[in-house]
Amino acid sequence: MNPLILKENDGPLTRELVQQPGDFGLGKVPSRLKPASTTTSICGFCATGCQLNIHLDKQGQAINLTPKPGYPVNLGMACPKGWQALDPLDTPDRATSPLLRNSKGEMEEVGWDRAVEAFVSKLKGIQKDHGRESVAFLSTGQIPFEEMAFLGCLFKFGMGFLHGDANTRQCMATAVMAYKQSFGFDAPPASYADFEESDVIVLVGANLCIAHPILWQRVMRNKRNPTIIVIDPRATETAQAATQHIPLKPKGDLALFQALTHCIIRDGRTNPQSIANTEGYEEMAEFVSELDPLWAAPKTGMTPKAIEALAETVSEPGKRVSWWWTMGVNQSHEGVRCAQAMINLALITGNIGKPGTGANSITGQCNAMGSRLFSNTTSLVGGHDFAMAEHRAKVAEGLGIPVERIPHDPSLAYDQILTAAEEGRIKGLWIVATNPFHSWVDAGALERLRSNLEFLIVQDMYRTTESAQCADLVLPAAGWGEKEGCFINSERRLATTKVVSRAPGKAMSDFRIFKLIAEAWGCGGLFSQWTHPEAVFHILRDLTRGRPCDITGIEGYDHLDARGGIQWPYPMGSPREETERRLYADGHFYTPSGKARLLYSPHTEMPEMPDDTYPMILLTGRGTSSQWHTQSRTAKSPVLSRLAPATPYLELHPEDASEIHIQQGDLIEVQTRRGSLEVEAYLAPTVQRGQVFLPMHYHGVNRLTHPTFDPHSRQPSYKACACRVQTKGGEFIPPRA
Amino acid sequence: MQTLIDELLSEQSVLQTPVAKFSDYHDREPDLAPHYRQLIPLEKPRSGEQYAFEVALDRCTGCKACVSACHSLNGLDEDESWRDVGAMVGGDTAPGWQQTVTSTCHHCEDPGCLNGCPVGAYEKEKDTGIVRHLDDQCIGCSYCILKCPYDVPKYSKKRGIVRKCDMCHQRLMEGEAPACVQSCPTEAIRIVTVKTGEAAQAERVFMDGQGEHSALAESDITQPTTRYTGRHLPTTAHAADRDALVAQHSHWPLVLMLVLTQSGLGLLLATCLQPVSGVAFSLVGVILFMAGMVSAVFHLGQPLKAWRFFLGLRTSWLSREILAFSVLLPLPLLWIGIHFISDFASKDFLFSTVRVLMPPFALLAVFTSVMIYHDTKRSLWRVDRTSLRFFSTLVLTGLLVLNQPWIFGILMMAKLAWEYSFLRLRTQKDWSPDAHSARLMAGPLRFVCMLRGALALCAVAASFISPWPAIFLLLGAEALERMMFFRAVSAPKMPGNFGPQTA
Repeated sequence: MNPLILKENDGPLTRELVQQPGDFGLGKVPSRLKPASTTTSICGFCATGCQLNIHLDKQGQAINLTPKPGYPVNLGMACPKGWQALDPLDTPDRATSPLLRNSKGEMEEVGWDRAVEAFVSKLKGIQKDHGRESVAFLSTGQIPFEEMAFLGCLFKFGMGFLHGDANTRQCMATAVMAYKQSFGFDAPPASYADFEESDVIVLVGANLCIAHPILWQRVMRNKRNPTIIVIDPRATETAQAATQHIPLKPKGDLALFQALTHCIIRDGRTNPQSIANTEGYEEMAEFVSELDPLWAAPKTGMTPKAIEALAETVSEPGKRVSWWWTMGVNQSHEGVRCAQAMINLALITGNIGKPGTGANSITGQCNAMGSRLFSNTTSLVGGHDFAMAEHRAKVAEGLGIPVERIPHDPSLAYDQILTAAEEGRIKGLWIVATNPFHSWVDAGALERLRSNLEFLIVQDMYRTTESAQCADLVLPAAGWGEKEGCFINSERRLATTKVVSRAPGKAMSDFRIFKLIAEAWGCGGLFSQWTHPEAVFHILRDLTRGRPCDITGIEGYDHLDARGGIQWPYPMGSPREETERRLYADGHFYTPSGKARLLYSPHTEMPEMPDDTYPMILLTGRGTSSQWHTQSRTAKSPVLSRLAPATPYLELHPEDASEIHIQQGDLIEVQTRRGSLEVEAYLAPTVQRGQVFLPMHYHGVNRLTHPTFDPHSRQPSYKACACRVQTKGGEFIPPRA
Repeated sequence: MQTLIDELLSEQSVLQTPVAKFSDYHDREPDLAPHYRQLIPLEKPRSGEQYAFEVALDRCTGCKACVSACHSLNGLDEDESWRDVGAMVGGDTAPGWQQTVTSTCHHCEDPGCLNGCPVGAYEKEKDTGIVRHLDDQCIGCSYCILKCPYDVPKYSKKRGIVRKCDMCHQRLMEGEAPACVQSCPTEAIRIVTVKTGEAAQAERVFMDGQGEHSALAESDITQPTTRYTGRHLPTTAHAADRDALVAQHSHWPLVLMLVLTQSGLGLLLATCLQPVSGVAFSLVGVILFMAGMVSAVFHLGQPLKAWRFFLGLRTSWLSREILAFSVLLPLPLLWIGIHFISDFASKDFLFSTVRVLMPPFALLAVFTSVMIYHDTKRSLWRVDRTSLRFFSTLVLTGLLVLNQPWIFGILMMAKLAWEYSFLRLRTQKDWSPDAHSARLMAGPLRFVCMLRGALALCAVAASFISPWPAIFLLLGAEALERMMFFRAVSAPKMPGNFGPQTA
């Protein structure tokens, strides 16, 4: 401070904000954060798969990041989670050492040797007494697929257990099953470029604006003046921005799509060439012949006229119509049939395999698509089938393991694993990078079955997640940014994620933890070639030869980086120049006949309908763009935290609220048959009367949700159940007359 | 096993050597430049023009990337960002109307922050119109925070200054886009050139169509330049956080400063009126007054720089207050000094001079205090309301010295009745700043409200016994009244987010 100067235009405080050219094509950056180098990495939150340019200091430690310009997915943009992706790494509640529950029941820090010894002796003991079905793992769509494959192969082929599933069951199992049954392989057709090429974009149960902002960016880049239709019970951010919002009755979507199919077939607005590539058309036409708009009206809350109008819009000859769905469809009691109803609509109107068309699933987690091919849970690693002997033989040869080690029987699904644990058939559970004690439907059930488990292992970045706090053994894992590997995004694009930060304490990458466990279990020899993630990438790549997901044309990580990621399939000899591709342009599908199957079932009403005791419908979903799942990571970022309400709130229609004089901001309780939660009232007519919306991120939300499952995909139906809303004084919002 | 563990842990600690990537380095145009080139003006503003943000509401969907980018690209503190995204909601029937709104500094034509700053720490750049904050000039008085109807400047505790958006002027100067403009996935934010002065009035589209219950500030206070285009706001639209009952900051050094200076002056003026009332009152009056002056310093983040207060005299009531109190300061000291110095030649002359001068100077000083708050254009702080509060503290204390318990009691009860009558507004159906204040008083501040009344009644009772306990009870009661004055005010701001709010 110079006391003689009247105006201090410069000084230490001013200099804190001085910028200078960041080089590397970054433009200006804060001087104190000028990078010595940069590298790229795919974001570790959602399945959009944005590439981030990580700014490194001289030691190679990340100090800042910006979204990567020119990357074909995000074109230099990111949502706040991407921008703040480094924040969750540096927090005081990271697990920095293995923790083992001691005889007093307290968690105690132990060395890796003790931890691994406890892991092996406990699980081997359970296996010896109760057999290969007595231990299961629950893993994740959040880690590189090299790690997923390691876990799946180690657990099933090395340790000799049978059951494992992942939280991907909660997010995209429905899409998997819909594609598998309809197309003969889990192969989503779209490329993100289709958002820009479409004339009619139908978004079903998808709130892109906050759940996938970068995909909304692609919609906004569409120069064809598209009609954007949002089908959603709530007037979401996306519904506000759309050209048309259809405030559907919850779970009325299948009835709506069947009525649309009825109208389109009745009016002859179908595409015969496209129908020629399908099987089951006549039967389906017969099935929907009675399902007219009058039938669908009460089920959808729409007028027959509105249904007719929508049918015309989505079957306009010469227009490119694309269907996109997210969790509103996937997390449903009849989600598979609902997704297939959209696939059917695309198939019979010729909206498949062409730019701006398709029935496309927008996936949840960053590597859900990687898990679909390589996690070795539902399908045999590399896009194979456990039940097929030639697949087992091929995989055994590819991995260099005895074929007897590959089971031919399927794994239990997530809900079945938990039921088995509840019934005492599963005694050990290994949870990797997921938080089911918060996120699983009817989460209270997990707490109840906890005491039935002899040993619960949680492998996670944090020692504070709801699940880690219930564990007998916590294995400290490195997080995104502290390890390398590949993700596959919603448009089937493979790309790499890098090491840009040191893991704290004794935390290790999941890959290294699996390696350690393989060695301790005594099956390390099976994995002697699995030295590092890229070596595993090569093994997995070679396994895909001849499958629809063939990626044998990819040389390695450098190739992926140089090309801005590569979409599968990419067999050896693929053309090198294209950056975006869609499937089924040739009208050929992966079924034995080469034709797509038109599949359908009768619509059924939602499993827990409102009644006099629980008269309202509880909807759940994403709250804001800055919150992710159970918030174990996003709540650690100060910036992301300030962008989201800190405590749970319930979106409630003002007229419903006024029935029992609930004011804005009042503390109220929302109750279902399974539990209750204290929430703050947020009165807004963005929900319909008789419905309330609860963001899914807060502790206790899933104690309320109703455990029903799609019969084909076993995906939980999180989105709608019966509930009631109570004031502090014990008054309920009454059923509507 | 231990060897393998050691090996894996040591592998885990290795980072890539960045040297290998140095081939990437070259001094080139920013990779994003082709994207944002059409989002910033090609030329500098001409005379009668300035730069402004333009937000296309139909493209803003609440992803909040701009908030993160502002934080990251400006290297701000861990939870600091100069941008924010909130929402407007409207309509009563489903499906309801909603619009997310991104906002930051509006680089106003007539900036409240700049006009209120006592030390000239704000400058409006001549050629660009950008309202710059000079971080090293700032004394951290926070008056700009009270003056800005959009809640833009934010106090940084660790630095003792405020900071705010500078439209990334360092980037703009080099033809680069500001952080928020660069980062918006849907190109909703751009920089445009707008007209200034008379010509601007007609073209302004600032939260077009706002209704009177929107909880947004009137744009004629500071003439904000940001253009909000693309979607018409219905008259029912209001800020999503409008009804959140979050009390404002209590500003305790200001509470003490106001109550202590006013009550100290009350004591002193009473002794001026009735010099026989005793030296003890004068002494306590001076002590209270000086304590008030000292507590004001605690409200400054950078008190050593406050000597430049005269730079703001032309527009800032805070500058004027500092001047008024500086001029007043010697008088109370002389007043008490006279009591303790032995007789000298012109003692009587000095005594009468101080006795005559002190009341007008004191009243003037308190008036400047009133105007500081009035000038923020906040409803609760209107000149009539604030005068009543501030001057009544002075008068009430004086009445105790003059030993007028009846008048004191009546006045005190009248003041309480006036304050509590405000509470009836809490049930008003339509939102208004006053109704909001009333709800805060009846809600989160109800204990302060009740305690204030209890202490005031005690002071009335005590005044019939002895002025001394009554004075101190009154001090407590008035401090709580002043705390309410700060905490219950409805401070205008840009729309915030829905859901639970934290203070």
